[in-house]
Amino acid sequence: MKSLAVARNVLRRIVNDPRTLVLIVVLPLFFVLLYGNSFSGSYKDLSIVIVNQDNGLASVRTAEVGRVTLDVNLAQAFVDALDPSMFDVVPSDDPMSAEADVGRSGIWAALVFPPSFSNALVNEAVRASGERRVEIDGSNVTLLPSDPIDGPKTILVIDDANPLIASAIRAAFDDTFGNVLATQQSSLTVEGLLDIRALHGGAIRMLDFTAPGIIGFAMTLITVMLTAMSVVRERTTGTLTRILIAPIGAWQVAGGYTLAFSCIGVFQAAELFLASILLFGIRFVGNPGVVALVIVLFTIGLQGIATLISTIARNEAQAMQFVLFLLIPSIMVSGVFWPLETMPATIRPLSYVSPLTYANAALRKVMLAGGGFGEIRFELAVLGAFAVVMLLLSVLSMRRQAYTA
Amino acid sequence: MAAETVVHATGLRKRFGKRTALDGLDLSVGQGCLYGLAGPNGAGKTTLIRTLCGILRPDEGEARLLGWKMPSSRVRSQLGYMPQDFAVYNDLSVMQNLEFFGGLYELRRSQVRERADELLERVQLADRKRQRAGTLSGGMRRRVSLAIALLHKPRLTFLDEPTAGVDPKLRRALWDDFNRLAEQDVTLVVTTHLVEEALRCHLVGFLNAGRLMTQGTPDEILAETDTTNLDDAFIVLQERGEARP
Repeated sequence: MKSLAVARNVLRRIVNDPRTLVLIVVLPLFFVLLYGNSFSGSYKDLSIVIVNQDNGLASVRTAEVGRVTLDVNLAQAFVDALDPSMFDVVPSDDPMSAEADVGRSGIWAALVFPPSFSNALVNEAVRASGERRVEIDGSNVTLLPSDPIDGPKTILVIDDANPLIASAIRAAFDDTFGNVLATQQSSLTVEGLLDIRALHGGAIRMLDFTAPGIIGFAMTLITVMLTAMSVVRERTTGTLTRILIAPIGAWQVAGGYTLAFSCIGVFQAAELFLASILLFGIRFVGNPGVVALVIVLFTIGLQGIATLISTIARNEAQAMQFVLFLLIPSIMVSGVFWPLETMPATIRPLSYVSPLTYANAALRKVMLAGGGFGEIRFELAVLGAFAVVMLLLSVLSMRRQAYTA
Repeated sequence: MAAETVVHATGLRKRFGKRTALDGLDLSVGQGCLYGLAGPNGAGKTTLIRTLCGILRPDEGEARLLGWKMPSSRVRSQLGYMPQDFAVYNDLSVMQNLEFFGGLYELRRSQVRERADELLERVQLADRKRQRAGTLSGGMRRRVSLAIALLHKPRLTFLDEPTAGVDPKLRRALWDDFNRLAEQDVTLVVTTHLVEEALRCHLVGFLNAGRLMTQGTPDEILAETDTTNLDDAFIVLQERGEARP
């Protein structure tokens, strides 16, 4: 009976605390909706460059009329067969620049068809299948195998920094090329047809791919939780009031917090990176200085989030719940496990406002692909703006807390 | 010559939802005055102090400290404040607490140490300065809080229930100290719910339901109410207030 009394007391206290009550009711539903939406998307609008040098013609020997030229356009048939919702095809005439663009400006792959693609493929198919009857200009003719000519090798350069996208592109190309080869009754396999060059030599594992995001998330969780709890404790114990009555500006208090927790954040990041590299061999080919800059900007922004949380939380328990409410979703929407390119349109706005999205993208580019300042300037700009805005908001929040303490 | 007015509040009104904490309150305190703000729990003492210090913004009226309209950053370095909560860092030692707050008032490390030794001696915590504040008793932590409030030798000090939870002997010593500070021209506004304690003050204000029922020297209040102690005087004033239509 006494246990019942204790239970009733616990529940009564929760019912009397509307914020906790709302979190208890809303949080699970919110997580399920977010999880379901984040992980149920499909790949869309992946940019690929296609250099179609194929002249579309196949020169074949016939038993009846000697050599004839067939207009088969097999490379174009392949391009037309690609799923238009999955791929955003960028045509190009320059194989060198197409290959160089992969991994930059959102280009995931480059496909270069050789000039003799159709010719080589048709002749190889006839050689493989033996004589075959086809209709040319209303007459039935017999195609004869000719001497071997250069293979229809097609170059596929693929950005494997994101193993999930790389394998999705591979699977889509396998299907489409497989269908074209089957139509031609070719003996070639897709592997035989494609000369595949992975940008990072296939060295990036799923573990490497997810590591930057997981490290960023761990930092987010620890830093925001520590800061929010610390500020709430300052307020509830009265020390914040005491500080803000002293001759110190709110910006100096916010700056002090930012400085302290940025140091902690950088230390934690170093610890996380070192442990990941030493224990699990996580790929790290970039400049540690660039990574440190990303971490510092990211951490400064996180202080602001934490201070804002501390403004609305009445006590440490509420602060903890708000932290979970805000941060757990961030790992689902920031492209840590699942590429942003697959997120449904309803979820993407959340991805774009999550700082983890940009920290994760920047860390990946540096750690996995050895990117420098130039490659991550967009992410740095976003994280820098985020840091400045959050710092300003945390100053305003400190001022407000002075009057609500 | 009349002492300079260092606390001047007019028509202060503060509401929290439907509850009126301050109800058009006027207050004036001269320099070097030990002013006792007495009243029962919930009378509005803490709200008044927090409003005067600029922590709370009044809904109506204004407060001026040392001539400056509050909130003002210009008076902060001359203001001492001891909140009703302990308001100390439990995870820091007594000395570390003093060092931190001394730093905020731009005291040099040597100044802090010298002043800390003097204050800790006064609040009888000299042998506890290396101890973590969180391991001290409630009364001891309150004394640490008092030492922090006085550390930078403020010209005007607000002490919210400084003697709550303090034993009678030390309480007497603390009131002696407050008087000594007032003699040195420091102005102190001290709240207490132990009305009788206010006997030690130069001026006493009785606060009830957000209103100042009366203000004067303890003798004036005893004479006004025809009583022999401030507890009785407070009850008489409270009953008069309730009887008023």
